[in-house]
Amino acid sequence: MAEGFDIDHLAKLARLSLTAEEKALYSSQLNQILGHFQALADADLPATIDDARVVDEAVLRSDEPGPVLGAEAVTRIAPASRDGQISVPRVVDDES
Amino acid sequence: MADALHTLSAAELGRRLAAGTLTSRALCEALIARYQALNDKVGAFTHLDQADVLAQADASDARRKAGQGRGPLEGIPVAIKDNIAVKGQPLTCSSKMLAPLVSPYDSHVAERLRAAGAILYGRLNMDEFAMGSSTENSALRKTFNPWDLARIPGGSSGGSAAALAAGLVPLSLGSDTGGSIRQPASHCGVVGLKPTYGLISRFGLVAFASSLDQIGPMARSVEDCELLLHALASADARDMTCFGPSDRALTAAGDAKKLRIGIPKGFLGKGVAPEVAAAVNAAVEFYRAQGCAVSEVELPSADLAVPTYYVVATAEASSNLGRYDGVRYGHRSAVAGTPVEMMTASRSEGFGPEVKRRILLGTFVLSAGYADAYYVRALRARAKIRAEYLAALAGVDVLLTPTVPTPAFKVGEKASDPLQLYLEDIFTIPANLAGLPAISVPCGKSGHLPVGFHLVGAPLSEAKLLAAGRLFEAAHGFAHQQAAL
Repeated sequence: MAEGFDIDHLAKLARLSLTAEEKALYSSQLNQILGHFQALADADLPATIDDARVVDEAVLRSDEPGPVLGAEAVTRIAPASRDGQISVPRVVDDES
Repeated sequence: MADALHTLSAAELGRRLAAGTLTSRALCEALIARYQALNDKVGAFTHLDQADVLAQADASDARRKAGQGRGPLEGIPVAIKDNIAVKGQPLTCSSKMLAPLVSPYDSHVAERLRAAGAILYGRLNMDEFAMGSSTENSALRKTFNPWDLARIPGGSSGGSAAALAAGLVPLSLGSDTGGSIRQPASHCGVVGLKPTYGLISRFGLVAFASSLDQIGPMARSVEDCELLLHALASADARDMTCFGPSDRALTAAGDAKKLRIGIPKGFLGKGVAPEVAAAVNAAVEFYRAQGCAVSEVELPSADLAVPTYYVVATAEASSNLGRYDGVRYGHRSAVAGTPVEMMTASRSEGFGPEVKRRILLGTFVLSAGYADAYYVRALRARAKIRAEYLAALAGVDVLLTPTVPTPAFKVGEKASDPLQLYLEDIFTIPANLAGLPAISVPCGKSGHLPVGFHLVGAPLSEAKLLAAGRLFEAAHGFAHQQAAL
């Protein structure tokens, strides 16, 4: 079960940039932890996951508009904003 | 009198406030003086806005004077773990990812505390994003166990437990995903309760693992813990798992002397320190002498709990923490480039080592080719563990074990071995996996270090757990204990 994983691929999926030292450390630690997970592979388990839920059903509210934070409160906590909007690095290049 | 206020229970403070022999301002001034004297030593708080506290206290005193007191928590300070939103106060999760953030809104529990007249008193240190069992993973500061400042207070709600044990505040809120209220409560000699999944709204709790996370009360006595629980439980449409207050959970205690207590077979052999086993066995004998029926119960899949938890929790964490992308709030890297480069750099700079480790693990167990072998098998194991706990709790009222196998360890002792640290939670994790209420109650010492026992009950059996805890603490000297500092 605890077969090898590709730390570079994992880091890319997780949007993390790791140093060589971090890659070595996390690879070693993840292998150790995954080894501990072997108990799950060996266990006799029920066929379904239905009983894994800890609440019988979600409590749904009516689909009606409610109070929201508003642009001023939201842009105040944004890392960068301009003219009441959150600014981000250029996503689309306007020079074709 | 002022210098002794920190030793009093919330219930006694409430009586003095109601009788007019104490004001909230005098209480808060005494606690602020104690904070100034001790917080650098203990490190429980990451933030305390003293002017705001005193303004809240004056408002409370004015309400009371006008005959508009709001209930038993009126004027009483409650300190809050730094992953629970309080409008106008920092919300950092002890992470560089969020560190300068000030919450623009109140969590449901903060609204409840305001409605009860409580003073929202400061921010408490924690393991970053609640990931850890020692509070050593905080990016903001170290927290030390008030009973031995060379040792960890437990975690992730280490600040919440240490603040109580140091007499810095009478009540605190923690959050518990795998034991994060109960384990630090045990290590610091205080009471901590994780409620039934769904009893308390998580609106405004920063999500770690949503199928496991619960907010819960912490205090120096069972009575105070119950007082706080009653203020927190209420319906909230903003958390779709929250079913609201339950008479059964809050009032159906029954006679604690008639409780049927189950002792899981083999649990005291699982690496439990002799002094911990002795203290817990003494608690069992106490209950037996009170007339409780004590029997052994089987939980054959207990060994699957830790691996199951670390698959489920990290899978959910890797998904929940995907929102930290440096775009809308939190840390944004100064590294220029494409949006993806900006996101990657922001996450890499903002998250600490344990958070990165868990995101990587969670990403792996959900990834193509591995999800069936890890995540789906863990859900199947979770179903089995839950079924076994519910079956055991059909025959007994509560399951009694140690809360933690060993007393608080030294700062740094387990920092390089994450798997060893994960095993700290071996007794507390199943209650989260099964959605069950559980409490840690102080029951003795190992040398100078507190030891707690752990009770787990059927869904909505909080009142029974609290009644059992009250019976024990009434006959022992561990309620209201504080470390000498």
